[in-house]
Amino acid sequence: MMGLISYSDLSTLFNILKQVEFHFALKFTLWTSLVATIFATIIALPCAYILSRYKLPGRVFLDTMLDMPIVLPPLISGIALLIFFGPVLGDHLAQAGIKIVFTPLGVIIAQCFIATPYAIKTFKQAFASIDQRMENIARTLGFSPPNVFLKVTLPLAKNGIIAGIMMAWTRALGEFGATAMLAGITRMKTETLSVAVFLNMSIGDIKFAISTAIVMLFIAFVLLIILKILLRNEVSV
Amino acid sequence: MKKTFFQVEGLRVEAGGFQLQDISFSLHKKEYTMILGPTGCGKTMLLETLAGLRKPIMGQIFLNNTNITTWSPEARCFGFAYQDSLLYPFLNVEENILFGASAQKRHKEVEIRKRLNRITEAMGISHLLQRVPRLLSGGEKQRVSLARAILCSPPVLLLDEPLSALDPQTRHAMQALLHELHHSEGLGIIHVTHDFNEALQLGTQLIVMNQGKIVQQGEPLNVFHQPRSLFVAEFLRSENIIKGKIENINGILWFSDRENEWVLGPLYEKLRTDANQKEVYLMIHAGQIEVSLREDTPLHNLNTWNACVQKVMIHSTHVEMICKGSRYWHVALSCNEWQRLDLKVGSRVNLSVNMKHIHIIED
Repeated sequence: MMGLISYSDLSTLFNILKQVEFHFALKFTLWTSLVATIFATIIALPCAYILSRYKLPGRVFLDTMLDMPIVLPPLISGIALLIFFGPVLGDHLAQAGIKIVFTPLGVIIAQCFIATPYAIKTFKQAFASIDQRMENIARTLGFSPPNVFLKVTLPLAKNGIIAGIMMAWTRALGEFGATAMLAGITRMKTETLSVAVFLNMSIGDIKFAISTAIVMLFIAFVLLIILKILLRNEVSV
Repeated sequence: MKKTFFQVEGLRVEAGGFQLQDISFSLHKKEYTMILGPTGCGKTMLLETLAGLRKPIMGQIFLNNTNITTWSPEARCFGFAYQDSLLYPFLNVEENILFGASAQKRHKEVEIRKRLNRITEAMGISHLLQRVPRLLSGGEKQRVSLARAILCSPPVLLLDEPLSALDPQTRHAMQALLHELHHSEGLGIIHVTHDFNEALQLGTQLIVMNQGKIVQQGEPLNVFHQPRSLFVAEFLRSENIIKGKIENINGILWFSDRENEWVLGPLYEKLRTDANQKEVYLMIHAGQIEVSLREDTPLHNLNTWNACVQKVMIHSTHVEMICKGSRYWHVALSCNEWQRLDLKVGSRVNLSVNMKHIHIIED
């Protein structure tokens, strides 16, 4: 952080903040990462709940599979996604009018793919920490299992769920490797902030790259601060 | 004749290598059943099965002659309170108590409000309604948990050691509250505990469990005075248990502890089998042994023996003594009696027992 900040100056930073390319990358990153986080949450909630509550056959295998995107280099994940949505499913998707490779949709899918395991891990921990007798009591009070999930499990896991969403969002915000492979590095089309840093570094526009990196740092810092405040407030209520 | 409204027949439940086996009992209307047993004997598992939270692999459960074995917990709506009150931290006290009413929708809102006011007033928690659970004491939390469980008038109230985490004073107050609730609400209650005194104070029926099975059931005082097995006697802390044999001398039965040549009898108690020479246990409760000073009562009576006071333990309600004769005897006296006899360590006493007060354990 110190290195980036010391290598930049405020006037250059403000100049770059006014550039159209920066505006595009910022807006594009925010909306794609938000959509990716929403999808990651929708996928992660039931997965995490099932993994934390039920002794499924092959649970260890399934759990490990879901962890793979965390341990794999994002570049490898990107290649796998590219092959899956290209040669494997590409034609079928094209017939249905869906284009994923080298499109903004590809960005969302790559971000979602990378962010989901983080959400699952955090949600799972949140569900596992709930005393199941709390849910039992709700059943004896007349709540059906789906209602118990909505009225008891989710509120009890709220902290963990918020933390998981924030974690997934920050991960999606900074995603580069998988996005570059699946959606490509196309200026003003699939240009996220990470991609913008890469593109401008590669053409020697170091000031633009560093300023963008500082903005990314700032966003991540603010998000993490918000997360910590939310969790602290929750604890002290 | 009392009417049975809740019945369990041959219940068998399995979980994690542990089994509840052949559980059968019934509950009459307004009956207070205490389930007593050591930790890990399956008491909580049984309550969870009765509530519908676990599925039995065998057996049936009837409520008002309807087979409810396959009913879900939300269809049964039995009140349930665990040892740790388990209030929802995201709701205040009032919302916690009303939580079930929002799901069941069996009562009109006005009725529920009236009931809420009545129950919280009776339980002394009406001033806490707007508080969050973390600001309540252990006793207050447990009261709220009970209020939540009984608000919607459950057919059966299941209590899983609800008082064991409380300090003695709060526990005593809660016992009085439960006793009052049982009478005022007319609830059928099944209460799990490992505290025999609690079982004696509250229960109208006592079930003793061990290793997943019911080992004895009956009225609490009957179980206390006539345990059917050594396990029950020891678990109920029967103090004086002596191993010996039954001797049939000219048709009259005597208990003999041959090792110490100590004979007691004749036995009034009807024995289950032909008991001659059979190894049995004799049980005498500490409070059933009479104490007199040796100089006051010369040793000529049957069933009287010498002893010397070894230890005196003063409790708030009675005095407990350990006396050494041919063996160690636990004796309990009222404080007045102890003061009258002026007993101290080293006092020489005669101990005697009325044969009506002894019990032979044949298992």
